[in-house]
Formats: sequence, structure tokens, C-alpha cells
Amino acid sequence: MSSTATVLTRNAPHSEGIRSIPIGKIGIWWLLASEIMVFGGLITSYVLLRISHGGWAEQAAHVRWQLGTLNTAVLLTSSLTMALALSASRQDRRRRTATFLLLTVLLGVAFLGIKAFEYTGELREGFTPASGLFWSFYYGMTGLHALHVTAGIVVNLTFFVMAVRGDLWDGKQARLEYAGLYWHFVDVVWIFLFPLLYLS
Amino acid sequence: MINMAGDDHSYVAIWGWLLGLLIAGVFVFTLHLATVTLLFIIFGVAAIKAILVVRNYMHLKAEHVLIYAIAGIPILLVIGMLLALIPDIVFHR
Repeated sequence: MSSTATVLTRNAPHSEGIRSIPIGKIGIWWLLASEIMVFGGLITSYVLLRISHGGWAEQAAHVRWQLGTLNTAVLLTSSLTMALALSASRQDRRRRTATFLLLTVLLGVAFLGIKAFEYTGELREGFTPASGLFWSFYYGMTGLHALHVTAGIVVNLTFFVMAVRGDLWDGKQARLEYAGLYWHFVDVVWIFLFPLLYLS
Repeated sequence: MINMAGDDHSYVAIWGWLLGLLIAGVFVFTLHLATVTLLFIIFGVAAIKAILVVRNYMHLKAEHVLIYAIAGIPILLVIGMLLALIPDIVFHR
């Protein structure tokens, strides 16, 4: 056996393992990797500037941690409903899938509603993105996160309509897993934004 | 065969842990501890919550090593960027 053939034979199970991963799953993880760089860069900048410049704690004291806590609970619950929707779709329980998808969408909308209420109060008190470095980061990071939540809501709503119309089945359930991965990632980002902006 | 009903119970249990950790983190915040202690606890709690979501809801515990590599490399890059910039930004004011 030639050395090339030996290498191919030796690598065969590993290569087969990689080929067994759906290309869509690799694609969504690749997207999430780029999102890690986006939010990671922002969070790193925030941490470094906060350590090197004083006076941030006084500005951060004006955010309402009670609303942030409520929003965290809402987003964590939406992750549960998303996981339950995927589980129901794998069992071919169509009505249950649609119900949990709708709940996920509604919880996402509730998150945005609470965030909008928060923004309104802060702006009324005179805290705008130009009020200081903390507020620039606060509006920048939570605003970017809210855009991601909005995108997730649109995707989940699309899948809800597909589930109700009966278009989500016949092997298309894997797409719901990719939407779920994105939604859970948005949740993970918020898990770190919450203590960064509200509790520290 | 995967026991889906078991999975659902596990998802609900993980959600209970996530809410419990959220309440614990906020409770610690209200105690007005020393800043370093507070930061250590609340970011420790956040890390545990993130691991719970990633491992259980995103099913990373059952994924191929390639997925770990795709997700892990940018995290290492972000940590590397943070460590590389600390001397310039934090210590050279």
C-alpha cells in the first residue's frame, strides 16, 4: 500500500465523522463564530476602558437592574421554549412545535418591549448615547443585541408560520435546530451583558 | 433511541437552574460586597449559566470536535486580544 493510501485509510473514520455534520450546522456555527468576534471585541473594549478610566460605576448606577433581571428571566425562558419546540418537532408533534415557537416569539417581543420601556425612561432622565463612555457602550451593546433579538424573532416567526402551514416537516426540522442555535447564542450574549452593564 | 420526554424534563430542570443562578447573582449584587469579590462571583455565575445553555440547549456536549474548534478559536482570539491590550491600555495611562 502506498503512503498516500495508508494516510487516507487511517484518516477515513475521522473524515467520515466530519462529513456526517450537516453543512447547515457548520454554516450556522461559522456565523456564530463571527458573532463571538463582534460581541467579544465590544466586551473587551468595554472592560479595558472601564478598568483604565474612573467614574463608570456612578454612571452605571442609573440603569435599572430590576428591569435587566426581568429581561434576563424572559430571555432564559425563551431559550427553554425554543429547546422544547425543537424537541417537539423531532417527535413530529406539530401543534406543540407551533405553540412553543409562538411562545418563543412572544417572549422575544416581551424582551424588546421591556428594553424599549427602559430606553424611554433613561432618555427622559437625560441619559443619551452622548452622555458619557458608559452610556455609549450601554446603548451600543444593548442596541446591537436588540437587533439580533429582532432578527431571531423574524426567523422564529417564519418557522412558526411554516409549522402552522405544514411546511416545516418532511426532513426540514433540521432548519429549526439552526434557528435554535442562533436564538440560544443571543441568550448567551445577554447572560454576559447583564452583569457587565447592570450589576458591576 | 432518544427519550424525548426525558429531554424535555432535562430542559425544564436546566431552566430552573438558570433562574436559580440568576436570582443568586442578583442577591449577591444587593449585598454590597467588595468590588473584586462581587465581580468574581457575578461573572462566575454568568459563566456557569452560559455553559449550561451552550452544553444543554445548544447540545455542544454531543457535538463533533470540529464544532468545538469553530466556536473555540474566536473565544481564544478574544481572550488573547484582551490580554495583549491590558499592558498598553490599563497600565500606560
